[in-house]
Amino acid sequence: MDYARFVRLRRPLWERFEAQLASPPKSMTHAGLEEMALLYRQVLHDHALAAARYPGTAAAQRLRGLAVEGTRLLVAGRSEGPGGLARFFTHTFPSAFRRQLGLTGIALALFLLAAVWGLAMTALRPDLGVALLGPKAIAGLAEGRMWTESLVSTVPPAISSSRIATNNISVALSAWSGGILAGVVPLYVVLLNGLMLGAILGVTLHYSMAGQLAEFISAHGPLEISLILVAAGAGLGIGRAVVVSGDRPRSLALRDAARDALAVLLGCVPWFVVLALVEVLVSPSPDVPASFKLAVGLSLEALFLALAALPGRSPDTLGAL
Amino acid sequence: VVNLDHESILGLDNIRLELPVAGVGSRTLAAFLDYLILLLLLLLWTVIWSVLAVAMKKSSWTLVALLAGYPVLEWSYFAVSEILGGGRTLGKRAIRLRVITAEGGTPGAGALVARNLVRSLDLLFGIPLMAVDPLARRLGDRLAGTLVVHERRTVAAPIIGRVPPGWGPRELAAVESFLARAQGLEDPARTYEMADRILDRLRRDSPELLEGLDVRGNPVEVIRRALQVEEG
Repeated sequence: MDYARFVRLRRPLWERFEAQLASPPKSMTHAGLEEMALLYRQVLHDHALAAARYPGTAAAQRLRGLAVEGTRLLVAGRSEGPGGLARFFTHTFPSAFRRQLGLTGIALALFLLAAVWGLAMTALRPDLGVALLGPKAIAGLAEGRMWTESLVSTVPPAISSSRIATNNISVALSAWSGGILAGVVPLYVVLLNGLMLGAILGVTLHYSMAGQLAEFISAHGPLEISLILVAAGAGLGIGRAVVVSGDRPRSLALRDAARDALAVLLGCVPWFVVLALVEVLVSPSPDVPASFKLAVGLSLEALFLALAALPGRSPDTLGAL
Repeated sequence: VVNLDHESILGLDNIRLELPVAGVGSRTLAAFLDYLILLLLLLLWTVIWSVLAVAMKKSSWTLVALLAGYPVLEWSYFAVSEILGGGRTLGKRAIRLRVITAEGGTPGAGALVARNLVRSLDLLFGIPLMAVDPLARRLGDRLAGTLVVHERRTVAAPIIGRVPPGWGPRELAAVESFLARAQGLEDPARTYEMADRILDRLRRDSPELLEGLDVRGNPVEVIRRALQVEEG
């Protein structure tokens, strides 16, 4: 068909559709809706024909505008939202978590190694603890006080918990995003945190305060360490894609690694909020019995692992990533 | 013709739709405007709670409410204004941008809420992600399955009503875009020069189209008559 003939024949239809788009009727009869849907489909096909045969012409441009605008008005979005979020936590996150499990295991092993090293160091040379914790906390320990008591008593809980949440999230974020530097930053975060935990344990053992330390960290510690290790494992995944991209382009390997890593990280974020509340309201409180703190800590950890172990196989919301 | 400004999606009946995807620049500009507005809202919020704190004399809880309000206000400004504005915040309105779904449709409230949930993460990662992705999606867009596009007003443009034999889409597009812009060109001499070149081509390809026309008049007008150009 000749361009001029195409325009002459089809133009009344485009104009009818354009008029309907410009002033969509407030209420629409079934017949009216059917007519509009038919017009939309015809415009869409005319657009395809014009784009193929008369690219760049005024008619093709106008048809493209009509097709885009009509699609926006007539095609309703998939209903994401609560359902999409639920699917993310029950399907996308668990499957990504399991694919990263090996790297998380490596992070755990390194963490334990660094902790043992830190413990051995401070057990042999207790004065090293001054360098790690600061002289004030050590002096307090010698008098039988934990430095954690003053951590939250001076500021309102709402403020200190949001500060702790921000701190934890930023540690996990740097462990995750630092993976792009060939995985160096997640390694650093894992080793440093392991070393610190081991060293603090050694120092408190020396002053016979290890029981209090265990009580303080039992409510939030297990989950906090798990989250940091999981985030670091995801960061290591990104780092591995940078170093070993196989026979694919590096950008492709990186994109695939980042997809899982991102799902894992996003799945961890709500837990950080829960963790911050526990760390402020439960952990330092002397009124809460130690057994309850331990129960909270273990059940939080169990809940996190149970959610991560859910069988997730349906098409995920991050599939388009 | 490959158009690098646009990235296409497959619409109904697998028909390719080229969406005018908005890039990092215009989206950052819109976000900047939005954050200016948000800053004003936060100032207003601070003033309200300061006045309340003085009036109620309970400063510790008003402080908590004040601080807790900041992230809530930031998130709800974007989510609520996008839901009310059909995918447009005030900043997007000013830059003429709009949020649509990956299928080109209108996003539901759930998707608009979800894409703004991770906004604080996107302040860190959003810009590099948008720069790398051909569809310029930030993290929130990927999570909610949305895109941001330019809104283009469809303006009436001249369409050729009689095609000289042998003319393909290239010639048609060139003449049509010349006619659309001829009114706005500043230098009439240059305009007539370009119109004369089109007339020469017409004379060579099909002189019969020019029969009965006064070719000494305004050459732009002669082209319009010869090709039976209609506005539309």
